[in-house]
Amino acid sequence: MKSIYLKHLFTAMVLVLGLGMPTLLRAQEERTLGPVSGTYAITNVTVIQAPGRKLDMGTVVIKNGIITAVGKGIAVPPEAIVIKGDSLFVYAGFIDGLSRTGVIKPKEETKEKVKDPGNPPPDRAGITPQNDVRNFLSPTDKTVEDLRALGFTTAQVVPYGGMLPGNAAVVSLGGKSADEMVLASKTALYSEFTTAERIYPATVLGVMAKYRELYRQAAQAKSYESLYASNRTGLERPSPDRILEAFYPVIDKREPVLFKAEKILDVQRAITLQTDLGFSLVAANVKEGWDVLPKIKSGNVKVFLSLDLPEEKKDEKKDDKKDVKKEEKAKPDPEKDKLEKRKAEFVTLYAAQPTAFQKAGVPFGFSTLTAKTKDIPANLRRMIKEGLTEDQALAALTINAAQILGMSDRLGSIDNGKIANLVITRKPYFNEKAQVRYVFVDGVVYKYEPKEEKKADAKKIDVSGTWSYSIETPQGANTGKLKLKKQGDNYSGTITSQYADKEVELKTVSLDNNQLTYSYSLQVEGSTVNVDAAVTVDVDTFEGSVTTAQYGSFPTKGTKDPNR
Amino acid sequence: MKKIFYSFALLALVTFAHAQVERGNLLIKNGTVLTVTKGTFENTDVLVKDGKITQIGKNIAAPAGVKVIDATGQFVMPGIIDAHSHAGLDAINEATSPVTAEVFTGDVLNPFQVTLYRALGGGVTTIHAMHGSANAIGGQCETIKLRYGVKDGDGLRMEGAPRTIKFALGENPTRVHGGGSSIVPRTRMGVEFVIRESFSKAKEYMEAWDKYNKAKTQKGFRGTPPAYNLRLETLAEILKGNIIIHCHSYRADEINMLLNVCKDFGVKRLVFQHVNEGFKVAPELAKFGAMASVFADWWAYKFEVYYSTAYNAAILTRNGVVTSINSDDAELMRHLYHEAAKTQKYGNLSDDEALALITLNPAKQLGIDARVGSLEVGKEADIAIFNSHPLSSYTIPMITVVDGVVRFDREKDADDVRIYVDPTQAVDIATIQGGEQEDHCMDGAEDAFGKLFGLN
Repeated sequence: MKSIYLKHLFTAMVLVLGLGMPTLLRAQEERTLGPVSGTYAITNVTVIQAPGRKLDMGTVVIKNGIITAVGKGIAVPPEAIVIKGDSLFVYAGFIDGLSRTGVIKPKEETKEKVKDPGNPPPDRAGITPQNDVRNFLSPTDKTVEDLRALGFTTAQVVPYGGMLPGNAAVVSLGGKSADEMVLASKTALYSEFTTAERIYPATVLGVMAKYRELYRQAAQAKSYESLYASNRTGLERPSPDRILEAFYPVIDKREPVLFKAEKILDVQRAITLQTDLGFSLVAANVKEGWDVLPKIKSGNVKVFLSLDLPEEKKDEKKDDKKDVKKEEKAKPDPEKDKLEKRKAEFVTLYAAQPTAFQKAGVPFGFSTLTAKTKDIPANLRRMIKEGLTEDQALAALTINAAQILGMSDRLGSIDNGKIANLVITRKPYFNEKAQVRYVFVDGVVYKYEPKEEKKADAKKIDVSGTWSYSIETPQGANTGKLKLKKQGDNYSGTITSQYADKEVELKTVSLDNNQLTYSYSLQVEGSTVNVDAAVTVDVDTFEGSVTTAQYGSFPTKGTKDPNR
Repeated sequence: MKKIFYSFALLALVTFAHAQVERGNLLIKNGTVLTVTKGTFENTDVLVKDGKITQIGKNIAAPAGVKVIDATGQFVMPGIIDAHSHAGLDAINEATSPVTAEVFTGDVLNPFQVTLYRALGGGVTTIHAMHGSANAIGGQCETIKLRYGVKDGDGLRMEGAPRTIKFALGENPTRVHGGGSSIVPRTRMGVEFVIRESFSKAKEYMEAWDKYNKAKTQKGFRGTPPAYNLRLETLAEILKGNIIIHCHSYRADEINMLLNVCKDFGVKRLVFQHVNEGFKVAPELAKFGAMASVFADWWAYKFEVYYSTAYNAAILTRNGVVTSINSDDAELMRHLYHEAAKTQKYGNLSDDEALALITLNPAKQLGIDARVGSLEVGKEADIAIFNSHPLSSYTIPMITVVDGVVRFDREKDADDVRIYVDPTQAVDIATIQGGEQEDHCMDGAEDAFGKLFGLN
């Protein structure tokens, strides 16, 4: 009696300890508790260190926000929280070259009418280059969470505004405070061809002229300030002007101009200003850049191509209404058909833009500014369909973007010493069925539950009962019985194995939608073997894999025994 | 030797700068060649090499590989030049201030507007893409060639054409700024004041810089430069004679006013646009050396445009004023040859005089007459070919050539000539927009101000 009690106590302890890891992960997600350890090891994972650098069954160790070891056969530090990466893929976190992720839009105030529309206060004219996006950041903004869930860990973000909204910053898509998000501040002077409403500059004409004037005034003010600084006696004191001062680092080429330039004419106009004024230009959220490639190349313009694509025409074949189709056939409209065809050609050109840049040898990153977050993976696949290779797409998302931002020492690949920004997926990222499972931002993990694949109504699945399973190993199939019991919303159970002479208590069992995971320990030749199983249930069958630290991972299958 | 090297380098540089512009080779055979300046020649050939006319004569042998156009029975004339257009621009009016000399339509060129192709279809090869008339002193304008097919606004620019700027008198600036924003100018007096004040400030600015630059050359000089101002920089260039004024105007009194203002400030390069009452002050215009760009017979679309006559162009011409006929409108631009022909009914102008109204004279007004505006050896090969005399009511433009490149060919006129297609726009069958009877000088300004303040 006593011994049974003790045994149960032991089981309970094992259960608590065994559940420890997922609990911590969940706690992290809710951000109520900090992790017990800042060290993580992702083991047995396919590591895509950088485009073209793949490591099978590798391990990535990160410590306090830094990648400390990448390779095969790396010792897992004892304090590490282990993520078993079998059948998973790990990439460097993705970088967004321009967006307003996590940036709060200032509330629209009712503004009084400007008396002289030709001479409005600068802020009303959209001229606020002295602004800094750091003053508008919020790590809890939903946009941060949404973009992160796609594998983005870093973004160059900009404030809202008019033609000169302010200074950009490169931020982590995580962190507890605005300052904690910031990886680099004043990374670019952000500019748009946005006009002011009914006040100067109300047209692109005005924006172009005003840009030139401000820039040249700044250059003049700057050189006068340095003259004054060298010898103040007898010189009029320069009057400080924060608007003009914002251009100083641009004039010194310590900071580039980041121009939102979506349409072909926007890109050309940004290059016109660059040519006239001589700043370093980053053209961002470019949607129609392919015909400007020679100028982009000769002007050494850096580019972030938009991940926003025009919608493809839906395939009419999917339309079930055959009557409608017949009617359409009865009235041929060749003019409309031709127009549709040309439109479709342009839709394709948009998707083929990254390929055109690739062919021209112009490195590029991507930006999400106007892209619908949920469309981004599909848009990447459309770009790949139009000739971009997966490695090239990955380079644009990671190492190329890091280079354009001048941060490739810290970002863009899985290498020792880089910031622990990782995205871990089931199936390779560009696969349609890929699922992001974990995202590390600055060493902090965000876990994503696997999404259900197809039909099988999750809530209705009840896995309790007895299952016959088999595990395929090189030595042949191992078979046994898995017994699961439902207790409230939770499961517990036992398992039989050829390696155990009696039923073994499962250490953990959990069911999430149709994803069943369970773990248990076996004594094999005097040592403890921990087995983790992850299977997908389809009513009365399951398929998946079991993983052991010592022997690797094997496929498993099961069928439910009929109820007696 | 060094000299040779430098001139070679210079040549290379020039060639490089112009490399973007496509220039063609052509032989136009056996047409009736209307040179406008040197007479009319039947059964004559025009040879074009590298975008320039190299020979006009009979029985010119086609050099190897050169495209030949058979113009037998057809009429070959210089490409039509429109001295007043707003086509090819993404924005027309920066209507927020009575003076916006710093803005430049060359910044907002849009080579994708189908309007440009349609103008080619009317034999037009060069247009003056102007700022609108909302402001007393509007923006600088760009002279562009209709090289429809290029994908870069820079590809439209007529390199080396003189700088021009739009001024406007009368109802438009007073309505927009006086009426709309309750600021000067509310009246024609106010318009004069705005221009005089601007010129005075520009003069002071120019003098301040001259003084500073001079002082700067002194050893040990220490001082504060005048504050850079792009608007005053531009106005100063007008005073220096580097920018031609093209002034929207209707009434004789205001035309006289601007002549006086320009005299006072020593400004000599002046072209009046619309200038419906030009016939009243033709001798004064001629004496000043000011030119006039008019409508053939378009008026009464607002109060200040009632006192008008279809004889305007002929009267101005007979008084020695360099006169052109312009469109100010994408539709009218397609048949400027009809507009020119009207001066033969109203004023008995000769063929050459009538054709000069839409070729050589607008070229003079834009300062490009040494390069285009007539068919002469050495000039740029901007050529329009018509199936009958271009001043005939029945004529049809057949082929339009810019820099020796065929940009419009009626035989090969495609259904869909759009260069860029908006992939987000729903496909609807194209409809031709109704031609409202008003000038387009106020595009952009009317939307912002007219509607807003109910002053349309």
